[in-house]
Amino acid sequence: MSIYKDAKYMDVPYEEKLKLFKEVKDDMRYDHNLYGCYECGICVAACPSARFYDFSPRVFAQIMAREDVDTFYELLNDSVWDCSQCYSCTRCPRENNPGGIILMMRDAAVRAGMQSAKDALKAYSRIIYKVMSTGTQVAPDMLQPDFFPDWGTDVKAVAENLDVWRRAIPPETLHTTELAWDVSEKTRLELYMIWKLTGNLELIEGIDEGIYMILEEVMEELLDDNGYDIDDFENVLEE
Amino acid sequence: MSNKPILVIGGGPAGLEATRGIADLGYHAILVDKSDVLGGNPISAHYAALTPDMRSAEEAMGEMVDAITDNPLVDIRLNTSVIGSEGDAPNLKVTLQNGSNEEVVDVGSVIVSTGFQHFDPGKETQMYGYYEHDDVITLVDAEKMLKEDNFLVPSTGKKPEQICFIQCVGSRDRQIGNQWCSKVCCGIACKQAIEIRDILPETRVFVFYIDMRMYGFWEDEIYWKAQEEKNVNFIRGIVTEITKRGAKLLVKGEDTTMGRPMEIPMDMVVLSVGMEPSKGTTEMAGTFKLPLESHGFIETTGGALNTVQTKVPGVFVAGAAAGPADLEDSISMGGSAVMKACAFLRKSELQSA
Amino acid sequence: METTTQAPAVHTESKVPLREFVRDGKPPTEDYREKLFELEAKGELEVHRVPEPIVEVETKYGRKKKIPIEHTWHHKSCGQCGHIPGYSTAIFWLHRQFGLDYYDPKDQSSCTAWNYYASSTSNPAAQAAIAVRNFAQAKLDGYFPLIHCGTSFGHYKETREEIIHHPELRDQVRRIMDRLKMPFVFPEEIVHYSEWIHVMRHRIAERQVVDFRNITTTVHPACHYHKLVVEDAIYDRELYDGQRTAIVTGLVEALGATAADYSTWHDCCGFGFRHILVSRDFSRSFSTIRKIERMKEEADPDVTITHDTGCVTTLDKSQFAAQAHGRNVGIPVLSDAQFAALAMGAHPYNVCQLHWHGVDNKPLLEKMGIDHKKAWGEFEAIAERIESGELDFMTWEDADVK
Repeated sequence: MSIYKDAKYMDVPYEEKLKLFKEVKDDMRYDHNLYGCYECGICVAACPSARFYDFSPRVFAQIMAREDVDTFYELLNDSVWDCSQCYSCTRCPRENNPGGIILMMRDAAVRAGMQSAKDALKAYSRIIYKVMSTGTQVAPDMLQPDFFPDWGTDVKAVAENLDVWRRAIPPETLHTTELAWDVSEKTRLELYMIWKLTGNLELIEGIDEGIYMILEEVMEELLDDNGYDIDDFENVLEE
Repeated sequence: MSNKPILVIGGGPAGLEATRGIADLGYHAILVDKSDVLGGNPISAHYAALTPDMRSAEEAMGEMVDAITDNPLVDIRLNTSVIGSEGDAPNLKVTLQNGSNEEVVDVGSVIVSTGFQHFDPGKETQMYGYYEHDDVITLVDAEKMLKEDNFLVPSTGKKPEQICFIQCVGSRDRQIGNQWCSKVCCGIACKQAIEIRDILPETRVFVFYIDMRMYGFWEDEIYWKAQEEKNVNFIRGIVTEITKRGAKLLVKGEDTTMGRPMEIPMDMVVLSVGMEPSKGTTEMAGTFKLPLESHGFIETTGGALNTVQTKVPGVFVAGAAAGPADLEDSISMGGSAVMKACAFLRKSELQSA
Repeated sequence: METTTQAPAVHTESKVPLREFVRDGKPPTEDYREKLFELEAKGELEVHRVPEPIVEVETKYGRKKKIPIEHTWHHKSCGQCGHIPGYSTAIFWLHRQFGLDYYDPKDQSSCTAWNYYASSTSNPAAQAAIAVRNFAQAKLDGYFPLIHCGTSFGHYKETREEIIHHPELRDQVRRIMDRLKMPFVFPEEIVHYSEWIHVMRHRIAERQVVDFRNITTTVHPACHYHKLVVEDAIYDRELYDGQRTAIVTGLVEALGATAADYSTWHDCCGFGFRHILVSRDFSRSFSTIRKIERMKEEADPDVTITHDTGCVTTLDKSQFAAQAHGRNVGIPVLSDAQFAALAMGAHPYNVCQLHWHGVDNKPLLEKMGIDHKKAWGEFEAIAERIESGELDFMTWEDADVK
């Protein structure tokens, strides 16, 4: 029973909410991220998201400190993705880190494959694919006017001249259009091993199955080309 | 009656009360102060009116100093520091330094009343800009301005239209490392707010706070008075940044009652700086081998039931050297320390007799 | 509240007796370098020492941080290399001008922090392993990591805290490194390239050929530089009385330009990691209303200078759509590296690649006395040679048109 009359998600079983809450509490970073809160409001004062969204880092710190599982679940669905991860809130005199609390909550939401997490990340998933498969997050070929119409006329000019303009940059490592810089195969291989060893590939399955399948294929291929079997890399975090 | 004097280190309120107490009981006192004037922070930091009685600090301290001046049982040493101590009480040999002169005195017991120092806002983790903006001042600066009847905007010399106090500066803060509450700043801020509203009735005064700590009679005598009679605006939410926007200072905080970020222009900001262990306190702790408690103040034994006894027999502490203390605390502790110091001397006399 | 106001430059003449901040007492935090050395002594990891020549700078609580001048492994930034290539190029160009030994690796992965902060599709062990892999590679290559991006810098500082405090995390990272057959290495300091620019600023000023005395700037410090692990950021008694981070402002002043103050100096730019890509109304609104418009109103700068990929992106790319809404925008955005490079006579297009920026920076170049029409002609000439197949790529020699 929530203490609030207008509480949401009361149809979701309490055990489910509690499980997620405990996961966040068990996160190794929890004790350094949350002490106590005396509601001074410094975090909200400094927060850019608080000015734009119905969002308050203070509410996160308070609710977690109170161990209010029902409201925690509301925040996990409704406002956890509003945070802009700037860490201005670490001005907290109690040394709380609301941005850090939110990061742990998002980790839990993603692990659980929550619908609200999927919704928040729907438009973003091709970026996930890019960074996990290539080892760089944004590539020049992503600078397309239909994806960034609001960024300005330079985007159109770049897109039209992409190949030539990328060659017209002195550093050798920048002579690519599919990656931010030329990442070696060795590094990509090591990155794939890290994704597998930390269970990150499996994590994507819960967020976007399509991306997951392509990713797995790409990773399996590269590992195979180099004499590795993708299944040999089991999640060390589960040991 | 013993002829061995009791050494009082630090001539602030606690030390002055202790010195008078010692003389009243017929014992000898040596009062040592490293500055050239007695009265402690109330005098050296130019306090105007004391909290909560509104009595002139200069007058009040003057009265305390008069009580011990020209007193045959009191030996006052100004510009003097304690630089060493040998032996155990009641047979302590303490070295006093005055300029290039050194003197060793035999004392039977010691009362450390080295007080506190005000928190330096440059160490604050919030962005208050004390060293950048003339118009950001501390409670100490404000006291001086009030005493000199000169409470005007420093950068323009004009009367302020809107000013605010920011509480808990340098206190209650894990990042800075000063985790305690400095006890007096809420009272002092309210007192100053009342004074300012009296001399500048057109000026709007705000207080930004986390909690208003108005112990005992301060509640209605200063807090309710400030709110109800003087229309001081209390807003629950601490300021995180002070920047300059044109001629005004801009304070940025959250109005936690309303749950909304706020940005308000001010002509002056008064930082309610807290207390820290003074350099004298830390030095004397080293000289007399007094353990410090976890916040860095001198540790006393017995918790609430013994506020003046240190872990070293015959050495006592009074006032803010033991932790945040208001004036009443300091005076009371001064008295308690005298009682225990004299009792200590008496007992040791009887034993050796 | 007043709207049209003239903001003072950074150092306002004080009317009260001089207040000088002197820090006393010991820092309230532990020394992370001591902690790393302790772990090294226990055999848990290897600490990669900062190579000579070193310059020491003061950080927030008065401790000294070692900044290497050369022999650096350039840990590149996704956003810079992806869509602000002049930013990375300027950093390399500056090193080349001073004849400094550096290495630009292909064996470098993204720190992936942008993704982690945006989507949480990762975990501390993966993030730490990615960091340690890059650091191990740098040590194997014989160069010391120099971080190009503010996000990477902040994230690596955070990772350092986690590695120091959590033995279970160290254990996980060690097992992963063992599988990768790489050592568990951590650098003695995590150094951001803008810190290198800070210690080089007077040497850069000595070689300045463009006069910046009529240039007014506003400085925007990156949140992840000075708000994440607050101690590890450069502070200087001479700048802001040691109360705000000295980074970038130090360079601007050394080059003779004015760093005009504005009331939202401490505000984030609004990047948001995920927001800048898929919830852009937030980034755009915040950046326009809280940063650009305030800067314009209070300081009216010729350019705003920052030192992080995300900040350059957000501040630069938010102004176009805002203009369509009739907002008071139009401040060109440059990184400190590009600003320094231009001061030393770098080609605005071959080196600083200013054609990849959103807000029109030609008026700025004109004010600097740089003939951008001629420069663009020179760039286009090289571009044509590339298009025709005569030239494969622009080389460093091609870039410095005589």
